[in-house]
Amino acid sequence: MKYLIKICSLFFLISTLASCTKVIKLNLKNTTPLFVVEGTVTDSIGTAQVLISKTQDFYSDNGFVGITGAVVTITDDSGVVTTLAATDSGVYQSPTLVGQQNRTYTLNVIVDGQTFTATSTMPVKVPFDSLYITSEPSFGSSKKTATVVYRDPAGKGNSYRFVEYVNGKQQQALFVGNDDFTDGNKNIVPLNIFGSDADSLSNRKINTGDSVKVDMQCIDKNVYEYWYSLDQSSTGSSQSAAPGNPVSNMQGGALGYFSANTLQSRSVVSF
Amino acid sequence: MKLTKLILCLLFVTIWVSSKAQEKFTISGTVTSQKTGETLIGASIRIVNTSFGTVSNEYGFFSITLDSGTYTIEVTSIGVEPYVKEVTLDKNIKLKIPLSDASTEMTEVTVKSAPKGRSITSPQMGVERLTMNEIKGIPALFGERDVLKAIQLLPGIQSAGDGNSGFYVRGGAADQNLILLDEAPVYNASHLLGFFSTFNPDAVKDITVYKGGMPAQYGGRLSSVVDVTMNDGNNQDYKVSGGVGLISAKLNVEGPIQKSKSSFLITGRRTYADVFLKLSKDSSLKNDKLYFYDLNAKMDYELGKNDKLFLSGYFGRDDLGFGTTFGLNWGNATATLRWNHVFNDKLFSNTSLIYSDYDDKITINTGAIDANIFSQIKDWNLKEEMQLFLNNKNNIRFGFNSILHTMRPGEVTAASGSSINNSSLQDRYSWENAIYASNTWQATEKINVTYGARLTAFSILGKGDFYNIDSAGKVTDTMHYSAGQIVKTYLNLEPRLAVSYVFNPSTSIKASYVRNVQNLHLISNSTAALPTDKWVASTNIIKPEICDQVSLGYYKDLANNKYELTVETYYKALQNQIDYRDGANVYSNDAIETQLLFGIGRSYGLEMMIKKQVGKVTGWVSYTLSKTEVKIDGINNNKWYNATQDHTHNIAVTLSYQRNKKWSFAANWVFYTGAAVTYPSGKYEVGGQTVFYYTGRNQYRFPDYHRLDLSATRQLKQHKHYSSELNFSLYNAYGRANAYSIDFQQSTTNPEQTEAVQTSLFKMIPSISYNFKF
Repeated sequence: MKYLIKICSLFFLISTLASCTKVIKLNLKNTTPLFVVEGTVTDSIGTAQVLISKTQDFYSDNGFVGITGAVVTITDDSGVVTTLAATDSGVYQSPTLVGQQNRTYTLNVIVDGQTFTATSTMPVKVPFDSLYITSEPSFGSSKKTATVVYRDPAGKGNSYRFVEYVNGKQQQALFVGNDDFTDGNKNIVPLNIFGSDADSLSNRKINTGDSVKVDMQCIDKNVYEYWYSLDQSSTGSSQSAAPGNPVSNMQGGALGYFSANTLQSRSVVSF
Repeated sequence: MKLTKLILCLLFVTIWVSSKAQEKFTISGTVTSQKTGETLIGASIRIVNTSFGTVSNEYGFFSITLDSGTYTIEVTSIGVEPYVKEVTLDKNIKLKIPLSDASTEMTEVTVKSAPKGRSITSPQMGVERLTMNEIKGIPALFGERDVLKAIQLLPGIQSAGDGNSGFYVRGGAADQNLILLDEAPVYNASHLLGFFSTFNPDAVKDITVYKGGMPAQYGGRLSSVVDVTMNDGNNQDYKVSGGVGLISAKLNVEGPIQKSKSSFLITGRRTYADVFLKLSKDSSLKNDKLYFYDLNAKMDYELGKNDKLFLSGYFGRDDLGFGTTFGLNWGNATATLRWNHVFNDKLFSNTSLIYSDYDDKITINTGAIDANIFSQIKDWNLKEEMQLFLNNKNNIRFGFNSILHTMRPGEVTAASGSSINNSSLQDRYSWENAIYASNTWQATEKINVTYGARLTAFSILGKGDFYNIDSAGKVTDTMHYSAGQIVKTYLNLEPRLAVSYVFNPSTSIKASYVRNVQNLHLISNSTAALPTDKWVASTNIIKPEICDQVSLGYYKDLANNKYELTVETYYKALQNQIDYRDGANVYSNDAIETQLLFGIGRSYGLEMMIKKQVGKVTGWVSYTLSKTEVKIDGINNNKWYNATQDHTHNIAVTLSYQRNKKWSFAANWVFYTGAAVTYPSGKYEVGGQTVFYYTGRNQYRFPDYHRLDLSATRQLKQHKHYSSELNFSLYNAYGRANAYSIDFQQSTTNPEQTEAVQTSLFKMIPSISYNFKF
């Protein structure tokens, strides 16, 4: 909802007034780097993974700089401990760990003498009914958009995240939603309504013949809040009421999150 | 409370001590404009060769009681010829004082001492009045004269930025301004997402802004009162005036109902940018909507010698649509019914029944989602005020005010088959009551004092659920209340005290203390003021905001009153201030308190202004040096930090030059320090994308803002019954790219880098408009 308002007000401003944008250089403080932990366990085999990195200064190069030498474990609610092995710099994986619905998992990371923990419960899987490409109106023209269909089960508390790939490349946008307004209904969601910001929206493009894949994750409430607040306040938009770091389930002073979620994928070739 | 006791004692002592046994009579009456019959607010009534005087009230009424004798009374006001009359006071006298318009040449040549635009002697400080003539001269965006933009050129009043109708008074947030139109609160004073204000200047008679020392009859907001009075209408002749500008057209019709007694006025305005959209070849642009309109109407009716009725209303709406997929529609409606009654020469009463409504509706239709979201705030408001002109030394006001607020924060209505469900956030009810009394007392020839108090009781009413919340913002307990049940009542006493010391007729100093309490708070999910921002009332968790302000001022009229110098300083201490938790979600959430954090604030500053009100060149220069900070539990390690509305330096220069009868020119230039803002200090990868790392709130600043606007007005050939003018204006004349927003994103040229991108609006906007009168 908020995005539509924002997009439309931006559209209004940009199209009706002689507005202009320019890249400016700001004198931003250098900071002491902070650990970033991104952990997932899903119901698909071979997907349990924890990424450990650090924050970087604003004007340094982008990219993931992994941290090695961490001890990473995921413990389920019956006490079974799985240790994740380092497979690449900063990437810790378990080829065997498969999460189960309704079970709670605890991540434990020990690195550089610091300990980070987080807990997440894998929700019940909601079937990913279909994926197709539609032509959605966009700023006076139309635009090919991946559209997902699922039926939300009765009873509030379901949250979803979708990850879109075009020709194997993950799209730079966050698609998260919950059933606050749509409880118990069939949802047909073009993946631009939840879209991160107007800018990435206009940059993303699907062409005829492109192969489009979408992952659907059923996520728990805390993880939804993480993604929601990340989208609201950490993506660099100046319109945010309170830019800041997202609300995280990670304890111990690291950025990032730990999510136990279901995972379903669908693919389609664009018309 | 010691201060309150002191004030009560003063009230009794001063009123009764001052009257002695000599025979006294009262001169009372109404000050009007001879040309239009409009009553004049704030005209100065002076008894020559004495220290006695008064000013006309909101209805042009005045009363002054003196010992029997012969006096010369002099009535002056800005833009009119002074009126002098000798009266022999051997009985009570009633006067109707018509003042004729001053012509510019006359003022220049014949009047040695210009009428004062403000009172040196009155203890009232922190007040700014702008006449419509002054506002008319100020260059404006698209040539749309705007009273709210004009007041932002005054010291201590800071614009919230381009494309934002919000303003900050002495470091107060935008929701801390009480904006009144004929006494009715206007909850969202913006059109077109903030580019214009809701006040059509053609319908406005007077605008008065109180930045400090608010009189006791006003309450409910912390920082300011912006009191906008609508024209009553011409009770002499039927008049039609109007204008056609680049984006809007206006029409104003007024005339007498009972000649010289009562009148009506209807003023309308509509923008027509959407008409151009319709001409577009692009089919989707054709379906876009983008317009606003507003309508002001007022009539008054004289029931008898001592009774007058006023009915005024405002209705305005904005409609913004993006094809058929998205629509945003919002507006205010207000209505005020007032009854003036003069009990006797000394006692004036006004009773008002006021209705105010603000609502917005978002419509979304994307196929799967077909729904609208409606929200509203609605007030019923009863006010009674008595003014007792007790004697020549005491002028008392007292009254009460009772407001019933109804808030509907969000109601979703969906079409059948839509994936959205019908749903509704809880309606909220509250009842705000206040009683007040104040006395303006001429203690000695040199000392004037206004003292008084306002007692407010804010009751939160059921039906609804209220919550207890832990420090992490989680609901720990839910309490249910039934309809009409009182959840909580906040009782607050607001003392008001102001003192002036007059050194000589052109020099004075003043000091004041005022406490204000605010029980309605504006919650926004954006830095840009949007029509969807929500008003919420105090709850068991959200406490009334409280502000204590002390101020001190120095006032000097220079060169026979041609120049006015004003210097004021202030210090404010604020309690129960509100800010957002990191990642706050203010939508789709019943317990809004879980998203908020609370703390204290402080603000202090120095304001200076020099103003010239007469002559060929008029205008002012104002400078404000200020600091505003907040300290919120849970933000920036509970340390003080700069509030968003903190702007260190603020300069405004406004000049207008009447070259001859045909041409006049105007210019204004503003400069202010960029707002305190939150920038990221670093970045990291998560979820396959680069996001930003923040180390504190409001630790950085926007670039400084400055802008020059120019305008020229050409008076066209005048006919007996018809006159017209052409106005040319250039907004942002040197094309300064001021920051509207700064976004952080992956570089468009080098994906390996992130960059900061500044968006600016309005680079040199020329416009032309045509205004007529017959």
